[in-house]
Amino acid sequence: MRKRNSGSLFLFGAAGILTVLLLQSCVAVKPYQRVYLNDEAMQLGKTQIDKFDENVHTYREGSSGGGSGKSSGGCGCN
Amino acid sequence: MKRLFIAAGLLTAWFTASAQQGTDSSAYKKQQVSQTDIQVLFSFYTQDGNHSAVTGGTGTENLQVFATDVSITHQRDARNTFTVGAGIDMITSASTDNIDFVRSSASREDNRFHLNGGYSRQLNKPDIRVRINSGISLESDYLSVPLGVSAEHDNADHTRQWSVGLQCYFDDLRWGRFDPDYYHPETLVYPSELRDTAWFDIYRRQSYNVNMALYQVVNQRIQFAVFPEVVYQKGLLSTPFHRVYFTTQKSPRVENLPRERWKFPIGLQLNLFAGRNMIIRSYYRFYHDNFGITGHTFQLEVPVKADPQLTIAPLFRFYTQTGAKYFKPYKEHSLQELYYTSDYDLSRFNSYKAGITARYALFQPMFRHYSFREIGMRYAYYKRSDRLSAHTISLFLDFKHSKA
Repeated sequence: MRKRNSGSLFLFGAAGILTVLLLQSCVAVKPYQRVYLNDEAMQLGKTQIDKFDENVHTYREGSSGGGSGKSSGGCGCN
Repeated sequence: MKRLFIAAGLLTAWFTASAQQGTDSSAYKKQQVSQTDIQVLFSFYTQDGNHSAVTGGTGTENLQVFATDVSITHQRDARNTFTVGAGIDMITSASTDNIDFVRSSASREDNRFHLNGGYSRQLNKPDIRVRINSGISLESDYLSVPLGVSAEHDNADHTRQWSVGLQCYFDDLRWGRFDPDYYHPETLVYPSELRDTAWFDIYRRQSYNVNMALYQVVNQRIQFAVFPEVVYQKGLLSTPFHRVYFTTQKSPRVENLPRERWKFPIGLQLNLFAGRNMIIRSYYRFYHDNFGITGHTFQLEVPVKADPQLTIAPLFRFYTQTGAKYFKPYKEHSLQELYYTSDYDLSRFNSYKAGITARYALFQPMFRHYSFREIGMRYAYYKRSDRLSAHTISLFLDFKHSKA
Protein backbone atom coordinates (compact mmCIF):
# COMPACT_ATOMS: atom_id res chain seq x y z
CA MET A 1 0.00 0.00 0.00
CA ARG A 2 2.83 2.36 0.94
CA LYS A 3 4.63 1.46 -2.29
CA ARG A 4 1.52 2.25 -4.35
CA ASN A 5 1.06 5.64 -2.64
CA SER A 6 4.71 6.58 -3.15
CA GLY A 7 4.36 5.67 -6.83
CA SER A 8 1.35 7.96 -7.13
CA LEU A 9 3.18 10.75 -5.34
CA PHE A 10 6.15 10.32 -7.67
CA LEU A 11 3.95 10.57 -10.77
CA PHE A 12 2.08 13.54 -9.33
CA GLY A 13 5.36 15.30 -8.48
CA ALA A 14 6.82 14.56 -11.91
CA ALA A 15 3.72 16.00 -13.57
CA GLY A 16 4.00 19.13 -11.41
CA ILE A 17 7.69 19.61 -12.29
CA LEU A 18 6.91 19.08 -15.98
CA THR A 19 4.17 21.74 -15.79
CA VAL A 20 6.50 24.26 -14.14
CA LEU A 21 9.26 23.56 -16.70
CA LEU A 22 6.83 24.00 -19.58
CA LEU A 23 5.59 27.29 -18.15
CA GLN A 24 9.20 28.48 -17.80
CA SER A 25 9.99 27.67 -21.43
CA CYS A 26 7.01 29.53 -22.91
CA VAL A 27 7.71 32.07 -25.65
CA ALA A 28 5.51 34.74 -27.25
CA VAL A 29 3.84 33.48 -30.44
CA LYS A 30 2.52 36.06 -32.92
CA PRO A 31 -0.83 35.45 -34.67
CA TYR A 32 0.93 34.86 -38.03
CA GLN A 33 3.12 32.17 -36.38
CA ARG A 34 0.17 30.06 -35.23
CA VAL A 35 -0.30 27.92 -38.32
CA TYR A 36 0.52 24.70 -36.42
CA LEU A 37 -1.22 25.70 -33.20
CA ASN A 38 -4.46 26.52 -35.03
CA ASP A 39 -4.65 23.09 -36.63
CA GLU A 40 -7.84 21.22 -35.68
CA ALA A 41 -5.93 18.23 -34.29
CA MET A 42 -3.79 20.47 -32.07
CA GLN A 43 -6.72 21.81 -30.08
CA LEU A 44 -6.61 21.09 -26.35
CA GLY A 45 -9.39 19.35 -24.46
CA LYS A 46 -11.54 16.52 -25.76
CA THR A 47 -12.61 16.36 -29.38
CA GLN A 48 -16.31 16.04 -30.19
CA ILE A 49 -15.92 12.48 -31.44
CA ASP A 50 -14.56 11.58 -27.96
CA LYS A 51 -17.86 12.52 -26.34
CA PHE A 52 -19.54 9.11 -26.27
CA ASP A 53 -16.29 7.24 -25.45
CA GLU A 54 -15.81 9.48 -22.43
CA ASN A 55 -19.33 8.74 -21.28
CA VAL A 56 -18.64 4.99 -21.44
CA HIS A 57 -15.41 5.36 -19.43
CA THR A 58 -17.29 7.10 -16.63
CA TYR A 59 -19.45 3.97 -16.28
CA ARG A 60 -16.94 1.21 -16.74
CA GLU A 61 -14.16 2.74 -14.65
CA GLY A 62 -14.56 3.75 -11.01
CA SER A 63 -12.76 7.05 -11.39
CA SER A 64 -15.65 8.83 -13.06
CA GLY A 65 -15.67 12.59 -12.78
CA GLY A 66 -18.52 14.51 -11.23
CA GLY A 67 -19.60 16.03 -14.50
CA SER A 68 -20.66 12.88 -16.26
CA GLY A 69 -21.52 9.25 -15.88
CA LYS A 70 -23.32 7.85 -12.91
CA SER A 71 -23.98 11.27 -11.46
CA SER A 72 -26.09 12.22 -14.44
CA GLY A 73 -27.82 9.20 -15.86
CA GLY A 74 -26.87 7.49 -19.07
CA CYS A 75 -26.08 4.12 -20.53
CA GLY A 76 -24.96 1.00 -18.78
CA CYS A 77 -26.58 0.99 -15.34
CA ASN A 78 -25.75 -2.70 -15.04
CA MET B 1 -12.75 79.51 -72.58
CA LYS B 2 -9.70 77.46 -71.66
CA ARG B 3 -10.14 78.48 -68.01
CA LEU B 4 -13.79 77.39 -68.15
CA PHE B 5 -12.80 73.88 -69.37
CA ILE B 6 -10.16 73.62 -66.63
CA ALA B 7 -12.68 74.69 -63.97
CA ALA B 8 -15.30 72.18 -65.28
CA GLY B 9 -12.68 69.42 -65.31
CA LEU B 10 -11.61 70.14 -61.74
CA LEU B 11 -15.25 70.21 -60.61
CA THR B 12 -15.94 66.86 -62.30
CA ALA B 13 -12.82 65.36 -60.74
CA TRP B 14 -13.86 66.62 -57.33
CA PHE B 15 -17.37 65.14 -57.68
CA THR B 16 -15.93 61.83 -58.92
CA ALA B 17 -13.49 61.72 -56.02
CA SER B 18 -16.29 62.49 -53.56
CA ALA B 19 -18.42 59.73 -55.05
CA GLN B 20 -15.54 57.25 -54.83
CA GLN B 21 -14.85 58.32 -51.29
CA GLY B 22 -18.49 57.47 -50.46
CA THR B 23 -18.19 54.05 -52.09
CA ASP B 24 -14.95 53.28 -50.29
CA SER B 25 -16.31 54.24 -46.87
CA SER B 26 -19.14 51.70 -47.25
CA ALA B 27 -16.54 49.00 -47.92
CA TYR B 28 -15.15 49.53 -44.42
CA LYS B 29 -18.54 49.44 -42.73
CA LYS B 30 -18.41 47.22 -39.67
CA GLN B 31 -20.54 44.11 -40.26
CA GLN B 32 -21.84 41.53 -37.82
CA VAL B 33 -21.24 37.99 -39.00
CA SER B 34 -23.36 35.35 -37.32
CA GLN B 35 -22.16 31.78 -37.38
CA THR B 36 -23.85 28.50 -36.51
CA ASP B 37 -22.12 25.15 -36.01
CA ILE B 38 -24.24 22.01 -36.20
CA GLN B 39 -22.54 18.84 -34.99
CA VAL B 40 -24.12 15.39 -35.11
CA LEU B 41 -22.68 12.30 -33.46
CA PHE B 42 -23.93 8.71 -33.91
CA SER B 43 -22.38 5.99 -31.74
CA PHE B 44 -22.90 2.28 -31.38
CA TYR B 45 -21.48 0.47 -28.35
CA THR B 46 -21.55 -3.21 -27.53
CA GLN B 47 -19.99 -4.95 -24.54
CA ASP B 48 -19.89 -8.41 -22.99
CA GLY B 49 -18.53 -9.80 -19.77
CA ASN B 50 -19.43 -12.09 -16.92
CA HIS B 51 -19.44 -9.91 -13.80
CA SER B 52 -22.80 -8.18 -13.72
CA ALA B 53 -23.45 -6.12 -10.59
CA VAL B 54 -27.20 -6.77 -10.95
CA THR B 55 -26.59 -10.45 -10.13
CA GLY B 56 -23.98 -9.82 -7.45
CA GLY B 57 -20.81 -9.94 -9.56
CA THR B 58 -21.69 -12.95 -11.71
CA GLY B 59 -23.61 -13.37 -14.95
CA THR B 60 -23.89 -11.59 -18.25
CA GLU B 61 -22.94 -7.96 -18.81
CA ASN B 62 -24.21 -8.04 -22.37
CA LEU B 63 -25.22 -4.52 -23.35
CA GLN B 64 -25.78 -2.52 -26.54
CA VAL B 65 -26.27 1.22 -26.83
CA PHE B 66 -27.17 3.22 -29.91
CA ALA B 67 -26.69 6.91 -29.15
CA THR B 68 -27.39 10.04 -31.16
CA ASP B 69 -26.31 13.51 -30.12
CA VAL B 70 -26.93 16.84 -31.86
CA SER B 71 -25.18 19.99 -30.73
CA ILE B 72 -25.83 23.47 -32.15
CA THR B 73 -23.65 26.50 -31.34
CA HIS B 74 -24.92 29.84 -32.57
CA GLN B 75 -22.48 32.73 -32.37
CA ARG B 76 -24.74 35.73 -32.91
CA ASP B 77 -21.86 38.20 -32.82
CA ALA B 78 -18.48 38.56 -31.14
CA ARG B 79 -20.19 38.95 -27.78
CA ASN B 80 -23.11 36.51 -27.54
CA THR B 81 -23.09 32.75 -28.09
CA PHE B 82 -25.97 30.31 -27.60
CA THR B 83 -25.68 26.53 -27.42
CA VAL B 84 -28.29 23.83 -27.46
CA GLY B 85 -27.82 20.07 -27.46
CA ALA B 86 -30.08 17.05 -27.43
CA GLY B 87 -29.80 13.32 -27.80
CA ILE B 88 -31.37 9.91 -27.34
CA ASP B 89 -29.63 6.74 -26.14
CA MET B 90 -31.38 3.44 -26.88
CA ILE B 91 -30.12 0.76 -24.52
CA THR B 92 -30.57 -3.00 -24.65
CA SER B 93 -29.21 -4.64 -21.53
CA ALA B 94 -29.37 -8.36 -20.77
CA SER B 95 -27.95 -7.82 -17.29
CA THR B 96 -30.38 -5.08 -16.29
CA ASP B 97 -33.09 -7.49 -17.37
CA ASN B 98 -32.02 -9.71 -14.46
CA ILE B 99 -33.51 -7.28 -11.94
CA ASP B 100 -36.62 -9.38 -12.42
CA PHE B 101 -34.96 -12.64 -13.53
CA VAL B 102 -37.42 -12.63 -16.43
CA ARG B 103 -36.18 -12.26 -19.98
CA SER B 104 -37.73 -9.60 -22.23
CA SER B 105 -39.31 -7.69 -19.39
CA ALA B 106 -39.56 -3.89 -19.57
CA SER B 107 -36.13 -3.39 -18.04
CA ARG B 108 -34.43 -5.18 -20.94
CA GLU B 109 -34.84 -2.09 -23.11
CA ASP B 110 -34.44 1.46 -21.94
CA ASN B 111 -34.17 4.91 -23.43
CA ARG B 112 -32.44 8.01 -22.23
CA PHE B 113 -33.35 11.45 -23.49
CA HIS B 114 -31.26 14.51 -22.74
CA LEU B 115 -31.55 18.19 -23.59
CA ASN B 116 -29.29 21.05 -22.57
CA GLY B 117 -28.83 24.70 -23.38
CA GLY B 118 -26.32 27.41 -22.56
CA TYR B 119 -25.47 31.03 -23.10
CA SER B 120 -22.11 32.79 -22.97
CA ARG B 121 -21.28 36.48 -23.08
CA GLN B 122 -18.01 38.31 -23.54
CA LEU B 123 -17.64 41.06 -20.95
CA ASN B 124 -15.55 44.13 -21.71
CA LYS B 125 -14.29 44.92 -18.26
CA PRO B 126 -12.84 42.70 -17.02
CA ASP B 127 -12.02 40.87 -20.27
CA ILE B 128 -13.78 37.64 -19.34
CA ARG B 129 -16.28 35.33 -21.01
CA VAL B 130 -19.00 34.01 -18.70
CA ARG B 131 -21.28 31.02 -19.34
CA ILE B 132 -24.39 29.51 -17.85
CA ASN B 133 -25.96 26.19 -18.77
CA SER B 134 -28.74 23.87 -17.71
CA GLY B 135 -30.80 20.99 -19.05
CA ILE B 136 -32.43 17.68 -18.26
CA SER B 137 -31.57 14.01 -18.63
CA LEU B 138 -34.42 11.54 -18.36
CA GLU B 139 -34.35 7.77 -18.08
CA SER B 140 -37.00 5.41 -16.70
CA ASP B 141 -35.28 5.23 -13.31
CA TYR B 142 -33.17 8.36 -13.41
CA LEU B 143 -33.86 12.08 -13.69
CA SER B 144 -30.92 14.45 -13.70
CA VAL B 145 -30.98 18.25 -13.81
CA PRO B 146 -27.60 19.90 -14.44
CA LEU B 147 -26.85 23.53 -13.64
CA GLY B 148 -23.54 25.21 -14.36
CA VAL B 149 -21.70 28.51 -14.40
CA SER B 150 -18.18 29.21 -15.62
CA ALA B 151 -15.80 32.02 -16.56
CA GLU B 152 -12.74 32.09 -18.81
CA HIS B 153 -10.06 34.63 -19.55
CA ASP B 154 -7.62 34.99 -22.45
CA ASN B 155 -4.44 37.02 -22.11
CA ALA B 156 -3.71 39.84 -24.59
CA ASP B 157 -1.68 37.76 -27.06
CA HIS B 158 -3.93 34.67 -26.71
CA THR B 159 -1.15 32.41 -25.47
CA ARG B 160 -2.62 31.68 -22.04
CA GLN B 161 -6.19 31.01 -21.06
CA TRP B 162 -7.66 29.99 -17.74
CA SER B 163 -11.16 28.96 -16.82
CA VAL B 164 -13.05 28.04 -13.69
CA GLY B 165 -16.51 26.52 -13.44
CA LEU B 166 -19.04 25.01 -11.07
CA GLN B 167 -21.25 22.23 -12.42
CA CYS B 168 -24.05 20.84 -10.23
CA TYR B 169 -26.26 17.80 -10.86
CA PHE B 170 -29.53 17.22 -9.04
CA ASP B 171 -30.62 13.62 -9.55
CA ASP B 172 -33.72 11.61 -8.64
CA LEU B 173 -33.36 7.82 -8.86
CA ARG B 174 -37.03 6.84 -8.67
CA TRP B 175 -38.66 4.73 -11.37
CA GLY B 176 -42.09 5.24 -12.98
CA ARG B 177 -41.85 8.30 -15.23
CA PHE B 178 -42.44 6.31 -18.42
CA ASP B 179 -44.88 3.80 -16.97
CA PRO B 180 -48.26 4.13 -18.73
CA ASP B 181 -50.07 3.43 -15.44
CA TYR B 182 -48.36 6.22 -13.50
CA TYR B 183 -46.32 8.74 -15.54
CA HIS B 184 -44.84 10.08 -12.34
CA PRO B 185 -42.00 8.89 -10.10
CA GLU B 186 -43.02 6.03 -7.83
CA THR B 187 -40.24 4.38 -5.91
CA LEU B 188 -36.73 3.01 -6.21
CA VAL B 189 -36.38 -0.21 -8.22
CA TYR B 190 -35.05 -3.07 -6.07
CA PRO B 191 -34.28 -6.60 -7.28
CA SER B 192 -37.53 -8.56 -7.63
CA GLU B 193 -37.05 -10.83 -4.58
CA LEU B 194 -36.07 -7.93 -2.29
CA ARG B 195 -39.07 -5.66 -2.79
CA ASP B 196 -40.65 -6.46 0.57
CA THR B 197 -38.11 -4.16 2.24
CA ALA B 198 -37.65 -0.41 1.89
CA TRP B 199 -33.86 -0.48 1.78
CA PHE B 200 -33.32 3.27 1.51
CA ASP B 201 -35.25 6.27 2.77
CA ILE B 202 -33.61 8.64 0.28
CA TYR B 203 -33.79 8.72 -3.47
CA ARG B 204 -31.89 11.89 -4.39
CA ARG B 205 -28.26 12.48 -5.31
CA GLN B 206 -26.42 15.79 -5.64
CA SER B 207 -23.05 16.31 -7.29
CA TYR B 208 -20.96 19.48 -7.13
CA ASN B 209 -18.02 19.66 -9.49
CA VAL B 210 -15.52 22.53 -9.37
CA ASN B 211 -13.38 22.33 -12.49
CA MET B 212 -10.49 24.52 -13.49
CA ALA B 213 -8.34 24.65 -16.61
CA LEU B 214 -5.15 26.35 -17.69
CA TYR B 215 -4.30 26.36 -21.42
CA GLN B 216 -0.80 27.50 -22.33
CA VAL B 217 1.04 27.93 -25.64
CA VAL B 218 4.69 26.91 -25.18
CA ASN B 219 6.00 27.77 -28.66
CA GLN B 220 4.88 27.59 -32.29
CA ARG B 221 4.48 23.80 -32.13
CA ILE B 222 3.64 22.91 -28.53
CA GLN B 223 0.77 23.70 -26.20
CA PHE B 224 -0.41 22.10 -23.01
CA ALA B 225 -3.27 22.22 -20.51
CA VAL B 226 -3.86 21.33 -16.86
CA PHE B 227 -7.35 20.31 -15.66
CA PRO B 228 -7.71 20.09 -11.86
CA GLU B 229 -11.12 19.21 -10.38
CA VAL B 230 -12.75 18.70 -7.01
CA VAL B 231 -15.99 16.75 -6.83
CA TYR B 232 -18.34 16.31 -3.91
CA GLN B 233 -21.33 13.97 -4.09
CA LYS B 234 -23.98 13.27 -1.50
CA GLY B 235 -27.20 11.29 -1.32
CA LEU B 236 -27.88 7.78 -2.61
CA LEU B 237 -24.58 6.85 -4.26
CA SER B 238 -25.28 3.13 -4.63
CA THR B 239 -27.48 1.61 -7.33
CA PRO B 240 -30.63 0.21 -5.69
CA PHE B 241 -31.01 -2.78 -8.05
CA HIS B 242 -27.48 -4.14 -7.58
CA ARG B 243 -27.44 -7.35 -5.50
CA VAL B 244 -24.70 -8.32 -3.05
CA TYR B 245 -24.26 -11.94 -1.81
CA PHE B 246 -22.64 -12.80 1.54
CA THR B 247 -20.52 -15.69 2.85
CA THR B 248 -22.95 -16.85 5.53
CA GLN B 249 -26.35 -15.79 4.25
CA LYS B 250 -28.16 -17.26 1.28
CA SER B 251 -30.39 -14.32 0.44
CA PRO B 252 -28.74 -11.21 -1.03
CA ARG B 253 -28.95 -7.59 0.04
CA VAL B 254 -29.11 -4.39 -1.96
CA GLU B 255 -25.76 -2.68 -2.66
CA ASN B 256 -24.96 -0.09 -0.02
CA LEU B 257 -22.31 2.64 -0.28
CA PRO B 258 -21.57 5.72 1.87
CA ARG B 259 -23.79 8.77 1.39
CA GLU B 260 -20.85 11.08 0.63
CA ARG B 261 -17.98 10.89 -1.79
CA TRP B 262 -15.05 13.20 -2.51
CA LYS B 263 -13.11 12.91 -5.79
CA PHE B 264 -9.84 14.58 -6.77
CA PRO B 265 -8.96 14.20 -10.45
CA ILE B 266 -6.29 16.17 -12.29
CA GLY B 267 -5.55 15.90 -16.00
CA LEU B 268 -2.53 17.02 -18.03
CA GLN B 269 -2.51 17.31 -21.80
CA LEU B 270 0.39 18.11 -24.11
CA ASN B 271 -0.05 18.49 -27.88
CA LEU B 272 2.95 18.64 -30.18
CA PHE B 273 3.09 19.27 -33.92
CA ALA B 274 6.03 17.06 -34.94
CA GLY B 275 7.48 17.40 -38.43
CA ARG B 276 5.34 18.47 -41.37
CA ASN B 277 2.26 16.29 -41.00
CA MET B 278 2.23 14.47 -37.65
CA ILE B 279 0.70 15.58 -34.36
CA ILE B 280 1.18 13.93 -30.99
CA ARG B 281 -1.70 14.31 -28.56
CA SER B 282 -0.74 12.99 -25.11
CA TYR B 283 -2.86 12.88 -21.96
CA TYR B 284 -2.34 11.77 -18.37
CA ARG B 285 -4.92 11.83 -15.59
CA PHE B 286 -4.46 11.13 -11.89
CA TYR B 287 -7.48 10.33 -9.76
CA HIS B 288 -8.08 9.68 -6.07
CA ASP B 289 -11.26 9.43 -3.99
CA ASN B 290 -12.35 8.61 -0.45
CA PHE B 291 -13.82 5.23 -1.54
CA GLY B 292 -10.19 4.12 -1.85
CA ILE B 293 -9.87 4.25 -5.63
CA THR B 294 -6.67 5.64 -7.12
CA GLY B 295 -6.51 5.68 -10.89
CA HIS B 296 -4.06 6.56 -13.64
CA THR B 297 -4.97 7.14 -17.29
CA PHE B 298 -2.44 7.43 -20.12
CA GLN B 299 -3.60 8.23 -23.62
CA LEU B 300 -1.69 8.78 -26.82
CA GLU B 301 -3.25 9.78 -30.13
CA VAL B 302 -1.12 10.43 -33.22
CA PRO B 303 -3.04 12.19 -36.01
CA VAL B 304 -1.17 11.93 -39.31
CA LYS B 305 -2.20 14.19 -42.20
CA ALA B 306 -2.26 11.99 -45.28
CA ASP B 307 -3.23 15.10 -47.30
CA PRO B 308 -4.60 18.53 -46.33
CA GLN B 309 -8.14 17.11 -46.03
CA LEU B 310 -7.58 13.61 -44.65
CA THR B 311 -6.25 12.88 -41.15
CA ILE B 312 -5.76 9.35 -39.80
CA ALA B 313 -5.30 9.10 -36.03
CA PRO B 314 -4.36 5.86 -34.24
CA LEU B 315 -5.23 5.90 -30.54
CA PHE B 316 -4.01 3.96 -27.53
CA ARG B 317 -5.24 4.34 -23.97
CA PHE B 318 -4.15 2.54 -20.81
CA TYR B 319 -5.99 2.78 -17.49
CA THR B 320 -5.35 1.26 -14.10
CA GLN B 321 -7.23 1.61 -10.81
CA THR B 322 -7.11 0.24 -7.28
CA GLY B 323 -10.36 -1.24 -5.93
CA ALA B 324 -12.83 0.55 -3.66
CA LYS B 325 -12.54 -0.58 -0.04
CA TYR B 326 -16.20 -1.64 -0.16
CA PHE B 327 -15.76 -4.04 -3.09
CA LYS B 328 -15.68 -7.82 -2.79
CA PRO B 329 -16.63 -10.47 -5.35
CA TYR B 330 -19.68 -12.75 -5.22
CA LYS B 331 -20.27 -14.34 -1.77
CA GLU B 332 -17.16 -12.84 -0.18
CA HIS B 333 -18.74 -10.07 1.87
CA SER B 334 -19.39 -10.59 5.57
CA LEU B 335 -22.62 -9.53 7.26
CA GLN B 336 -20.70 -7.32 9.68
CA GLU B 337 -19.73 -4.89 6.93
CA LEU B 338 -21.60 -1.61 6.87
CA TYR B 339 -21.00 -0.83 3.18
CA TYR B 340 -20.70 -3.40 0.39
CA THR B 341 -20.69 -3.71 -3.38
CA SER B 342 -19.88 -6.38 -5.98
CA ASP B 343 -19.81 -3.92 -8.87
CA TYR B 344 -16.65 -4.72 -10.85
CA ASP B 345 -16.52 -1.12 -12.10
CA LEU B 346 -15.28 -0.39 -8.55
CA SER B 347 -12.83 -3.31 -8.37
CA ARG B 348 -9.07 -3.37 -8.94
CA PHE B 349 -8.33 -3.74 -12.67
CA ASN B 350 -6.39 -2.52 -15.70
CA SER B 351 -7.89 -1.71 -19.05
CA TYR B 352 -6.63 -0.76 -22.46
CA LYS B 353 -8.27 0.74 -25.49
CA ALA B 354 -6.98 0.78 -29.03
CA GLY B 355 -8.68 2.55 -31.89
CA ILE B 356 -8.39 4.57 -35.05
CA THR B 357 -10.06 7.77 -36.22
CA ALA B 358 -10.35 8.99 -39.81
CA ARG B 359 -11.30 12.62 -40.33
CA TYR B 360 -12.05 14.18 -43.68
CA ALA B 361 -12.27 17.99 -43.72
CA LEU B 362 -14.45 18.93 -46.66
CA PHE B 363 -15.15 22.67 -46.32
CA GLN B 364 -17.58 22.06 -49.14
CA PRO B 365 -20.36 24.61 -49.85
CA MET B 366 -23.77 22.94 -49.79
CA PHE B 367 -26.57 25.44 -50.37
CA ARG B 368 -27.05 29.12 -49.56
CA HIS B 369 -24.95 29.86 -46.48
CA TYR B 370 -24.42 26.23 -45.40
CA SER B 371 -21.18 24.32 -45.74
CA PHE B 372 -20.14 20.78 -44.83
CA ARG B 373 -17.02 21.09 -42.69
CA GLU B 374 -15.98 17.58 -41.81
CA ILE B 375 -16.88 13.95 -41.46
CA GLY B 376 -15.15 11.72 -38.91
CA MET B 377 -15.30 8.02 -38.06
CA ARG B 378 -13.82 6.18 -35.11
CA TYR B 379 -13.56 2.54 -34.12
CA ALA B 380 -12.22 1.48 -30.73
CA TYR B 381 -11.74 -1.83 -28.95
CA TYR B 382 -11.79 -1.86 -25.15
CA LYS B 383 -10.58 -4.70 -22.92
CA ARG B 384 -10.61 -4.90 -19.14
CA SER B 385 -8.48 -7.30 -17.08
CA ASP B 386 -11.66 -8.90 -15.63
CA ARG B 387 -12.41 -9.99 -19.24
CA LEU B 388 -15.06 -7.39 -20.03
CA SER B 389 -14.61 -6.35 -23.64
CA ALA B 390 -16.34 -3.74 -25.78
CA HIS B 391 -16.44 -2.27 -29.26
CA THR B 392 -17.42 1.32 -30.10
CA ILE B 393 -18.01 2.83 -33.50
CA SER B 394 -18.83 6.53 -33.96
CA LEU B 395 -19.71 8.77 -36.88
CA PHE B 396 -19.32 12.53 -36.55
CA LEU B 397 -20.70 15.16 -38.95
CA ASP B 398 -20.06 18.90 -38.75
CA PHE B 399 -21.96 21.59 -40.68
CA LYS B 400 -21.52 25.32 -40.60
CA HIS B 401 -23.82 28.22 -41.44
CA SER B 402 -22.47 31.76 -41.86
CA LYS B 403 -24.44 34.90 -42.58
CA ALA B 404 -23.27 38.52 -42.73
